[in-house]
Amino acid sequence: MILAWLIVVPLVAGALAWLGERQSVRLCRWIALLALGADLALLAAIWLNAPAIDPTVRSGWLVEAARPWIPRFGIDFHVAMDGLGLLMVALTLFLGIVAVACSWTEIRERVGFFHANLLWSIAGIVGVFVALDLFLFFFLWEVMLVPMYFLIAIWGHENRIYSAIKFFIFTQASSLLMLASIVGLAWINASATGEWTFNYFALLGTDLEPNIAMWLMLGFFIAFAVKLPAVPFHTWLPDAHTDAPTAGSIILAGVLLKTGAYGLIRFVVPLFPDAAMRIAPVAMALAVAGILYGAVLAFAQVDFKRLVAYTSVSHLGFVLLGIFAWNELALQGAIMGMIAHGLSTGGLFAVAGALQERLHTRDMRRMGGLWLRLPRMGAVALFFAIASLGLPGLANFVAEFLVLLGSFAVAPAAAVLAAVGLIFAAVYSLVLIQRSFHGPAKKEIRATDFDRREMAWSAAMIVALVWLGLRPQPVFDAARPTLEELGVPAVLSDEGAEP
Amino acid sequence: MLANYLPILIFVIVAAGLGVVLLGIGFVLGRGQKDQEKLSAYECGFEAFEDTRNRFDVRYYLVAILFILFDLELAFFVPWAVSLDAVGLFGIGAMGVFLALLVVGFIYEWKKGALEWD
Amino acid sequence: MTFTSAHLVALLPIVVLGGAAIVVLLLAAFSPSRRVTTGATAIALAATLATLPIAARVIPLDVSPLIRIDGAALLYTGLLVACTLGVLGLSTAYLKGLGESVGELCILLVTAALGAAVLSASSHFASLFLGIELVSVSLFALLAYARDEKPNLEASLKYVILSGVSSAFLLFGIALVYTELGTLEFARIAELVPLESASSVYIAGGLGFVIAGIAFKMSLVPFHLWTPDVYQGAPAPITAFLATVSKGAVFVVLLRYFMLADAYAYRPLIVALSLLAGASMLLGNVLALLQNNVKRILAYSSIAHIGYLLVAFIAGGAVAIESASYYLAAYLASSIGAFGVVAILSSGVEGETQTLREYRGLYWRRPWLAAVFSLMLLSLAGIPLTMGFVAKFYVVAASIDASLWVLLALVIVGSGIGLFYYLRVLVTLYLEPDDVTPDGARAAAAPSGHVVLAVASVAVIWLGIFPAQLIDVVRALAFTNG
Repeated sequence: MILAWLIVVPLVAGALAWLGERQSVRLCRWIALLALGADLALLAAIWLNAPAIDPTVRSGWLVEAARPWIPRFGIDFHVAMDGLGLLMVALTLFLGIVAVACSWTEIRERVGFFHANLLWSIAGIVGVFVALDLFLFFFLWEVMLVPMYFLIAIWGHENRIYSAIKFFIFTQASSLLMLASIVGLAWINASATGEWTFNYFALLGTDLEPNIAMWLMLGFFIAFAVKLPAVPFHTWLPDAHTDAPTAGSIILAGVLLKTGAYGLIRFVVPLFPDAAMRIAPVAMALAVAGILYGAVLAFAQVDFKRLVAYTSVSHLGFVLLGIFAWNELALQGAIMGMIAHGLSTGGLFAVAGALQERLHTRDMRRMGGLWLRLPRMGAVALFFAIASLGLPGLANFVAEFLVLLGSFAVAPAAAVLAAVGLIFAAVYSLVLIQRSFHGPAKKEIRATDFDRREMAWSAAMIVALVWLGLRPQPVFDAARPTLEELGVPAVLSDEGAEP
Repeated sequence: MLANYLPILIFVIVAAGLGVVLLGIGFVLGRGQKDQEKLSAYECGFEAFEDTRNRFDVRYYLVAILFILFDLELAFFVPWAVSLDAVGLFGIGAMGVFLALLVVGFIYEWKKGALEWD
Repeated sequence: MTFTSAHLVALLPIVVLGGAAIVVLLLAAFSPSRRVTTGATAIALAATLATLPIAARVIPLDVSPLIRIDGAALLYTGLLVACTLGVLGLSTAYLKGLGESVGELCILLVTAALGAAVLSASSHFASLFLGIELVSVSLFALLAYARDEKPNLEASLKYVILSGVSSAFLLFGIALVYTELGTLEFARIAELVPLESASSVYIAGGLGFVIAGIAFKMSLVPFHLWTPDVYQGAPAPITAFLATVSKGAVFVVLLRYFMLADAYAYRPLIVALSLLAGASMLLGNVLALLQNNVKRILAYSSIAHIGYLLVAFIAGGAVAIESASYYLAAYLASSIGAFGVVAILSSGVEGETQTLREYRGLYWRRPWLAAVFSLMLLSLAGIPLTMGFVAKFYVVAASIDASLWVLLALVIVGSGIGLFYYLRVLVTLYLEPDDVTPDGARAAAAPSGHVVLAVASVAVIWLGIFPAQLIDVVRALAFTNG
C-alpha cells in the first residue's frame, strides 16, 4: 500500500500544518516541505525497486494495490502506478516543493491553513495520477479542486472571488458530465456482466454501441478539455492563474492542467478508442486553434501573469495535438511537453510572484529596466522564457519537436499550423522579457535581487529543464511501457528521431 | 314510504307554530318602554356594531377552546356508552387511556394558569 | 383483530414516543427547571432509538390496517427521531439566548416526532392524514415559538393557512379515492385498481389532489411559495426541523404508498412527479441565486434537494429506493448541520444572523462554526469527502439505471447552478471580516448545539468516505423486497 501512503502523507501533513500554525509559522512551512520531501523519497523508493515490491503486478505497471471500498457498487480503493503516473507524480511533488519555497515569504497570513490547502490539493492530484478505479478517480478529481478553490479565493489577488468561483464552476460543472459518463459506462458494463464495477481494467473491454460510446466519451472529453484547457473552454484559466497566489499558479499551471491531459491519455482514448478516433480531427483542430489563439492573446497582454497564463493555453494545445495524433512519437512528445511546460511555466509564475512581492504589481507597463537592478532575477526569467519558446537543448524543444513530427504523419496541415505557433512563442516570450526587464530603468523601482532561497528553487528547475533537454531518454523509457500497454502505434519504425 | 316522514312534518309544524305563537304573544301583550338601549341587539356584553378589527381578550378564545375540547369528549362518550356491550373490557381500557390523556392535559392547563381569569 | 405481545413490541417506538409526550407534558407543568425537561426529552428520544432494535425482532408486522412496522419504518423512524434529537439540542442552545421557556418546545417536538414515526409506518390514508396533521399542528406552535418576534408570528400564520389549504386538498383527494375504491388501505388499492383501466376521473383526480397536498408539505415547485418566507421567519432550529423531519416524514410516506399501492405502474402519477421534480430542481436552484439571505438560500436549496430526491425515487426499483434512502440520510445530516450553524449564530441575536453580510469573515472569528458550515455546504453541493457526494452519485446511478435522461440532465444542470450559490456563501465565510459585522452572542451558545454540529459533521465525513456501512443498513432494511 505504498501508493496509499503517497496520498496519506500530504493529507496528514496538511492537517498538521493547520494545527501547527498556533505554534509557529515556520513550523508549518517546514512540515509542508518535509512532507513533500518524504513523498518524493517514497516515490524514489517505488521507482528504484518497483519490480521487487510486487512481482505479480500486471505488465506495464510498477505497483498496484486494491482494497474493497463500497462493495455495493463494486468500488475498490484501487491504485496503481505505471511510468506515466510516475512521471506525473514526480512532477507534482517537485513543483509542490517549489511552490512551498516560493511562498516562504509571500504568504504571511493564515500560513497554516494555506499550507494545509496546498498539501491537500497536492494529495488529490497525486491520487488522480494513481487511481485506477473510476469512482476513486472522480472522487480525488474533486478533492483536488476544493483546496485549490480556497487557495485562490483567500490568498489570491484583486479579483480573486470572481476567479475562484469561475474556476470552480467551470471544472465542477464539466466534471458532473464526467460523473454521468462514468456511471453510464459502469452501468452498461453492469447490465452486460450482471455486476457493478468501476475497475479500469474491467471497463476497458466494455462493448459499446458507437452512438452511446460517443456520448459517454464526450462527457469525459469535455471534463478533461475544460481542465486542459482546450480552446472554447479555456476562459477560466487566465482569470484563475492571474488571481491565484504564486504557489497556486504554479500548481495550477504545473500539474492541475496536466490532469486533463493525463485523463485523455489514460481514460478517453483507451476506454472509447473508436469514438476518440472519430473526434480526433475536431480535437486536433481545437488544439491548433488553442496554440495560435493562446499565443496571439498572450502577445496582447500587459499583465505579466496573464501573459504567462495564455502561453499555457498555447502550450497545452501542443499536448492535445500530440495526444490525438495517437502515435508513439507524438505521445512521447505530449508527455514530455507536460513535464517541460510544468517546469518552464511554473518557473515563470514563480518569477512573476517574486516580482509582485517586490513591486506590488504585475503590470508590465510599470516595469522595465529591471535587469540593471535585479540581474540574477533577470537571468532566471530569461532562461524560463527561452525555455518556454522552445530553444533547442531545453526540454520544451524536445517536446514540441516530437509532437510536430508525430502529428505531421497523421495530420500535416495541423502540424504546419502548429509550427507557426512556435514563431508566435518566440515573439511573446521575448516580448515578456523585453517589456519587463529590458529598456530604460524606471527610477521609482527599488527592490532586492534574488536571495539564496530563490536561487535554490530557480536552480533546481533550470537544472531539470537542461537535463531533460539534453537527455530526455529516461522520460521516454519510463513512458514507453505505458504506451505499449495502450497499444499506441509507432509512426516511424525506429526511434531515431530523438535528439 | 313518504308516510314515514309524517312525524317529522308534524314536529316541524309544531316547532314553527310554537315559535310564532310565543313571539306573537310577547309582541302583543308586552308593554315595555322602548328606548335606544332596549331596541339594540344584545350579545355577550359587546356592542353590536363596531370596528371589525376590534380585539377580543385572548381569554375568551382560551375558554372557548377548552370548552370545545371537553364538549368533544362528551361526544365520544355517547357512542361508547351505547356500544359498551360490544367493545367489552378492551373498550373500557381504551376509554380509560383516553380519559387519562385528557386528565393529563387538564392538569397541564391548570398548572399553566389557563383556568384563571385574572 | 387480536392484539398480541408481538404487536406491542413492534409498536414500541411509537408507544415510547407517545408516553414521552405525556411525561414531558407533566414535567413542563410541574418542573420549572429547563435542564430536567430537556434532559428528560433527550432521554425519551434516545430511548425511542433504543427500542428500534427490539422492534426489529418481530418485523415485518401489520399492527392494525393503519400501521405496518417493517424495516423501512424502523429505519426512517430512527433517522427522523435522530434529527428531532438534533433539533432539540439546537433549540436548547438557541432558546438560552432568547430567554424563552423550553417546556412547550419539548412537548411539541415529541408530538411532531410521534407524527413522523406514524408517517414512517403508515399503510393507510387515515394514519397518513393523522401523521401529517400531528406534525403540522405541532409546527404551527413551534414556528411562532418566540412570540415577541414578529417574523415568527408571520411565518407561523403563513404556514397555518397554507398548511390548512394543503390538508384540505389532501383530504379531498383521499375522499375521491375512497369514492371510487371503497378502501383507504394502500395495499388494497393495489389489488382493486386494475391500473391499465384506471382512467377513472375519481382516481386520477383523487391522486392528483393527494399529490398536490403532499407537494405542499414537501415544498415542491409550484407548491413551494410559502417555503422561503416561512424558513426565513421561523426560529432557526425550527427551520431545521421543518427542512428535515417534516419534509422527510412526508417523503417517506409517499415512498411507502408507492411501494404498497404499486403506484409505479400508474404512469400519470409518475409523469406528474417527474414534472414536479424537474421544476423543483430548476426553479429551486435558479431562485436561490437571487437571494442574499442565508436562510432563504438554504430554503431554495432544500427545494432543489427534494427535487433530486424525487429523481432517485421516480427511478423505481431496488436501486432507486436505496438511493432515495441514502440521499434522504445525507440531506438530513447536511441540513441539520447547516441550519444548526445558523441557529447557534442567531441565538440571542435580534432578528437572527441571516444576511450574507453577517457571515462575512466568519472563519476568522469563529473558525469551528465556519468549518462546519463549509462542510455542510460542500455536502449539499455534492463535493467528495462528504455524504452529499455519495448521495449525488446514487441519484445519478439510479437515474441512469432507469434511463431517465431528461431528469438526469436536469440534475446535472441544477447541480451546476447550485454550485454557484453554495460557493457564494462559502467564499463569504473566508473573506476579510469587516468591522460592522455583528458577532453572534458568543456566550449564549450552549454546548448542546455544538455537540449536535459535531455529530452531524462526523456523520457527514465518515459516511461520505466510508458509505458502505450505511448502505448495508439501508439495503437490509429499506423495502428491499418491496
